[in-house]
Amino acid sequence: MTLAIRPLVLVAGLPCSLVLLFALAGTILPPAQWNWMDIASEGGTALLAAVWCLIVLNSRPDGRVTRLLAGGLACIMLGSWADCLDEAIEVDKAALWDNALEALLPLGMLVLTVGLYYWRQEQATLSEHMRKRERLFRNHRPFDRITQLADAAYLREQLRLESRRDGSQDCVLALFDIDGFHRINREHGPAEGDRVLQAVAHMLLLNLRNEDLLCRYAGDRFAVLMPGLGVDEAADAAAHLCCMVSTMRYHGARGQVRITLRHGCAPTQGAPDALLADLCRRMDAA
Amino acid sequence: MIDWQPSGEPSIPARQQPALALEYGRSRDAVDAELLRDTGLVAGLAPDVLVSPAQYLQQLSNTFRALGSPDTSFMLGQLLLPGHDGAASHALVQAPNLRVLLETLCRYHARLTPLLRPRVERWGEVALVYWVDAYGAPGIRPALVEMHMTALVGLCRWLGGERLPWRFCFNRTAPRHIEQHHVHLGTELRFGCQLDAMLIPASWLDRPWPRASELASRLAQQALAAEPPRAPGLLAALYDYLLAQVRAAPTLERTASDFGVSPATFKRQLLRHHTHFQAELDQVRTHVALWLIQVERADNEEVARYLGFHDAANFRRSFKRWTGLTPGPIRKAMEGESGWFGELKGRAAGG
Repeated sequence: MTLAIRPLVLVAGLPCSLVLLFALAGTILPPAQWNWMDIASEGGTALLAAVWCLIVLNSRPDGRVTRLLAGGLACIMLGSWADCLDEAIEVDKAALWDNALEALLPLGMLVLTVGLYYWRQEQATLSEHMRKRERLFRNHRPFDRITQLADAAYLREQLRLESRRDGSQDCVLALFDIDGFHRINREHGPAEGDRVLQAVAHMLLLNLRNEDLLCRYAGDRFAVLMPGLGVDEAADAAAHLCCMVSTMRYHGARGQVRITLRHGCAPTQGAPDALLADLCRRMDAA
Repeated sequence: MIDWQPSGEPSIPARQQPALALEYGRSRDAVDAELLRDTGLVAGLAPDVLVSPAQYLQQLSNTFRALGSPDTSFMLGQLLLPGHDGAASHALVQAPNLRVLLETLCRYHARLTPLLRPRVERWGEVALVYWVDAYGAPGIRPALVEMHMTALVGLCRWLGGERLPWRFCFNRTAPRHIEQHHVHLGTELRFGCQLDAMLIPASWLDRPWPRASELASRLAQQALAAEPPRAPGLLAALYDYLLAQVRAAPTLERTASDFGVSPATFKRQLLRHHTHFQAELDQVRTHVALWLIQVERADNEEVARYLGFHDAANFRRSFKRWTGLTPGPIRKAMEGESGWFGELKGRAAGG
């Protein structure tokens, strides 16, 4: 992860300026009077809040939720830091600014709470978006960069989950290949090939049931896991998906490119590796 | 004297394989600084510069690491052949059938696939293409093999207009990303073999390809033959040399003088290619022994005699040291696979 410089300067600069402010306005107590326990706990809170704030700023795109979360954490950091400095530097108890600084702590918590509320809404939207791309459990790593679909490792994990079930429910795995995809890559360039993959992924997603899972197996081969369907129904669904893709008009940089799919289906029984190897063999023979 | 090229000397035009790899890395959102780290190519790739194989290897290794995706080697393979090397690439594309394609690829491998040298052997109804290191790249050897196999499979599929019935052997354990092999290579995969090879029924060698033109091919070959040859990598040249000399008990001193350098220089060069003389000799002897066992159905006594061992027990011990297995289990594994070869032959006869 690369650290952006601006938030780092900001998060480090604010506490430093506070130290200056305190040092100018108050008198430093002799170290014998310092309560080390309080300094450690309040200073530690400030430090950790600063780290969280940096993590939020560095890991999320800018926006309302990011600003609320980062702002809240920054307030908590400043409030705790002011508390911490109070232990070491004596300032006039009547000074309004000091009280205001300490009030930043509850204010920060409030802002953070609001931020978390919006974050929850954002998560719900994203989950809706991801529904057909993930099933049963979330794992943030195995996602393909081009199509934003889960990869073969995730598919194998799902097949393993499926095979561990009692078997009362049917489940079918369908594989799809793009006809002559290697020719599209050669004749139109790999960038066009990537866009074809994205278009096909979208078209497939739009025509799946909510409980289906779409993965990019590898290259131009997609996999759809269809729980609750028998082999005949699944073959019918797969044929429909092929039909939908073939009626799609894909406009490449150099005119229209005709895209067709072929498919193969098998019930999800036995070891995932053997099942996938077997189905792939049938796809190649087709 | 034998013509060869050390990995440290610039010999690969930057605008060819290195530029293709760089372009692919960029298309996957990697930055130049990361892709070219430690290659010494700070200023980027100027098109008219020559890049040394060591730099190209470092660039590939950076690319595999930076993209962190199991399909990188396969995608780079799709881009590798026919390449953009003028007459050599043109001759590949004009090849009227698989035989001419493989002959062209093997003869001009220093231009077309500088890092791995393909070799073609044939016995009975089976043709075998196997890949030998040209410059030594122990860390990324599996990825290089995936890349070069994909390149050849993809090129044949494009020129032939159909999937060829290749079967693959890998000198490695089964990887986690087997799905990439399924889609880019095929489903007939064997892991834990002693060499990285692709097999195909020999009847496919002479099948004419849809766009084949004998005349165009001959002209392309003539144009290519008129160009100055490029020397093969040290390890590729050494493999050829040792294979030819394997019965004459080659020594480091003799080999060094045939390669036109002092034994000390030769040793140092081999070290720079992450290997040493005995390892290279053992590799060649392993391949020869496997050939004798597999194709000639020779027993230990015969192989020992052929390779100049004192007796069968000595050979057996050495073979164990080279491969980690004694010849017995290898024979047994082959019996298990003889069904595979039998099927291949059957298919060849049928096809």
